[in-house]
Amino acid sequence: MSENPSIKESSIQVNSVLLYPKGGKPSIIANEWQVWNGIEAEASLAQINQDQKVLAPFQWWLSHGQAQAQDPDSEVTKRIQKKTIGVWFAADEDILKHHEVIEAGKPAWALVAADFPIFRDGRSFSTAALLRERFNWSGEIRAIGDVLIDQLVLGARSGFDSFALRADQNLDMALKQFDLFTVTSQNSWRDRRSQLNERLNGHLSS
Amino acid sequence: MYKYDYIDQTLVNERVIQFKDQVDRRINGTLPEEEFRPLRLQNGLYHQRHAYMLRVAIPYGLLSSDQLRTLAHIADKYDRGYGHFTTRQNIQFNWIKLEESPAILADLAKVQMHAIQTSGNCIRNITSDAFAGVAADEYVDPRPVCELLRQWSTLHPEFAFLPRKFKFAVCGAKEDRTILLCHDVGISLKKNENGELVADIYAGGGMGRTPILGSLIKENLPWNVLPSYLTALLRVYNRFGRRDNIYKARIKILVKALGPEEFARQVEGEWASIKDGDDNFQQSEWDRVAKHFTKPTYKTAEQISTEDLIQSALENERTAFARWLERNVKAHQVPGYASVIFSLKPHGSVAPGDATTEQMLAIADLADQYSFGELRVTHEQNLVLADVEQAKLLELWHKAKAQNVVLPNIGLLTDIIACPGGDFCSLANAKSLPIAKAIQERFDDLDYLHDLGEISLNISGCINSCGHHHVGNIGVLGVDKDGKEWYQITLGGEQGNHASIGKVIGPSFGAEQIPDVMADIIDTFVKHRTADEPFIETYRRLGVMPFKEAAYLNRSKESTTGAVV
Ligand code: HEM
Ligand code: SF4
Repeated sequence: MSENPSIKESSIQVNSVLLYPKGGKPSIIANEWQVWNGIEAEASLAQINQDQKVLAPFQWWLSHGQAQAQDPDSEVTKRIQKKTIGVWFAADEDILKHHEVIEAGKPAWALVAADFPIFRDGRSFSTAALLRERFNWSGEIRAIGDVLIDQLVLGARSGFDSFALRADQNLDMALKQFDLFTVTSQNSWRDRRSQLNERLNGHLSS
Repeated sequence: MYKYDYIDQTLVNERVIQFKDQVDRRINGTLPEEEFRPLRLQNGLYHQRHAYMLRVAIPYGLLSSDQLRTLAHIADKYDRGYGHFTTRQNIQFNWIKLEESPAILADLAKVQMHAIQTSGNCIRNITSDAFAGVAADEYVDPRPVCELLRQWSTLHPEFAFLPRKFKFAVCGAKEDRTILLCHDVGISLKKNENGELVADIYAGGGMGRTPILGSLIKENLPWNVLPSYLTALLRVYNRFGRRDNIYKARIKILVKALGPEEFARQVEGEWASIKDGDDNFQQSEWDRVAKHFTKPTYKTAEQISTEDLIQSALENERTAFARWLERNVKAHQVPGYASVIFSLKPHGSVAPGDATTEQMLAIADLADQYSFGELRVTHEQNLVLADVEQAKLLELWHKAKAQNVVLPNIGLLTDIIACPGGDFCSLANAKSLPIAKAIQERFDDLDYLHDLGEISLNISGCINSCGHHHVGNIGVLGVDKDGKEWYQITLGGEQGNHASIGKVIGPSFGAEQIPDVMADIIDTFVKHRTADEPFIETYRRLGVMPFKEAAYLNRSKESTTGAVV
């Protein structure tokens, strides 16, 4: 796992994404979004084809993207109009500290993502939960990085609705993960903890 | 006793299927060990020195006789005929085959048990007072809250990959029997002036390498908002707890680094935005759960005096029976009833906390006959029949004798808490079990033990502190120096309302010296104690010096080591 294909070594492009809309069914779709690590060069966004959908690091957005979005002729503005730009949050990003930037960014971003630098780092579960609860983000939230099959149920319930699984993961198996549990014992983004009547009548109606 | 409804049962059944699939993928090689590891840990499956070890949850320490029979069956069928009750109200089986683990979980699910979150970096099995619902000093029965929190925390999606393990304890009595302050979060339940159920929240306690007692961070929190408050607290920890160093990843380090006030402030900030959400418990949920913890159908019985009880025994049995009544039988809320502790600490024969298949089966029968079919597991690694008619105590004592569980040593020097240490645990620096055995053999005189009164002696095989050595009046910690096993002694630890962490007295001793060192410490206590003064008070009055001098007097430099870990 030292060769953990997280976005830091950004050349790995995940071809398919598992999409699991709230209330809908999971499916595999082609991945249109490239995760850009934004580190190589400050202006390098221009080097990426304008029609290519790009997820930029939130830190880059803070330092460059936000300002450029004010400029009607900038690369960023064009991308906003084409809906080809979004941001990804690193696992250690304190998103609550940037409340205003995120609120202002909401209309600009076509997609947001949160990174799992290693599968057992659970910070991004809380990031997704906060984006849903505190920022009322209603669009797609994508899990990127070291995303494994056995995290899908957790992610789906915390607030994610799309998953760029690590390239070696078995997608057929991934699709079946959401059928594993039919009940829940706490509230989550998708499900309500089953309340009294449901609990009493659940077995009758099923 | 809580009974699973459709949802609880379905969840546990589905979990068995999920885990079986994970095990299958591990065996067929599609799931690498590194990625399987946290998954199996979240199902209580460790890989230890000899084999896999499975840790089964006994939520808040409550067991039905049928559940105990199933544990006996698992010990018999999948293990070597015994199980080990731990300090965290779990039971461990030491000789498990990976391939068989899903079948064991399926057997457990049939009696409403599981191994979910008994290990791993998630919210662990919630522990509580083993005398909940019966203790004479109880303010509120903590079990409905424990059960609601068990449900809330079970497979919680946001908190399955925390920086480290996370332990809750819940207490509702005047005397703390849960070591509340040594938990990541301690929940102290009480009634406010209006008679409403509220909780004081302590955070940032824990033993291990850096023992710290928890700090009060919230007072009078209404019981029903626990889910939102704890979500806020866990969020702060999940996001800001250190992940760079496993020794610094516990919440105690975060609370210490920020200071309890600042930590509390951050939790409060997060909580403010979710406190009114629909995450909180509903009264209807309380009603659904609490009805399982109503009192059993007690008979109306007269309180019987200890003197009368003793007189009811045959003359040649009286001394032994009286001792048992004194040490192993506790006061009850209901007149005519008592709680009985079965000692799993026979002198020098088995590991503290071990019970054989035969014992478990027999004790399950005793629970059926004498205690409404229920038992409790204590963090001191003993078993409790909580609701025994006083009039039946003598009969019960006779029957329990056959199972070798009536040794009247509860709370005494030989009621040793010990982790499995080097005999089973791959993290150990030294063995624990032979030390416990040697001490029990050395102090095998019951008269003497009774005269000494309450002393807690706790042994851990390494600094992880599974044996609670930090809070033992006498603590023994296994340390390693130059590949040799040594034992460091701490004194002055205590659990309960005056919880404190023991202090190291000096260089470590060799295993063979420990019984003598104990004898010297105890002799010093006897020499200085006033009347019936308990050990801990003598220690507090005198400080460490006289004990330290006695422990090192006549012991050569070569036989001790400066190793302090
Ligand atoms: C044999 C396998 C076991 C392993 C590998 C193991 C591992 C550990 C580790 C690594 C810690 C340190 C956690 C930390 O400070 O962050 C720990 C703590 C602890 N373990 Fe174990 N343990 C085992 C068995 C047991 C047993 C048998 C018991 C009970 C007798 C137990 C009860 C505890 C308790 C009470 C703590 C202290 C938690 C605290 O910091 O407050 N463990 N264990
Ligand atoms: S204290 Fe150490 S030796 Fe004992 S069980 Fe825990 S990890 Fe193992």
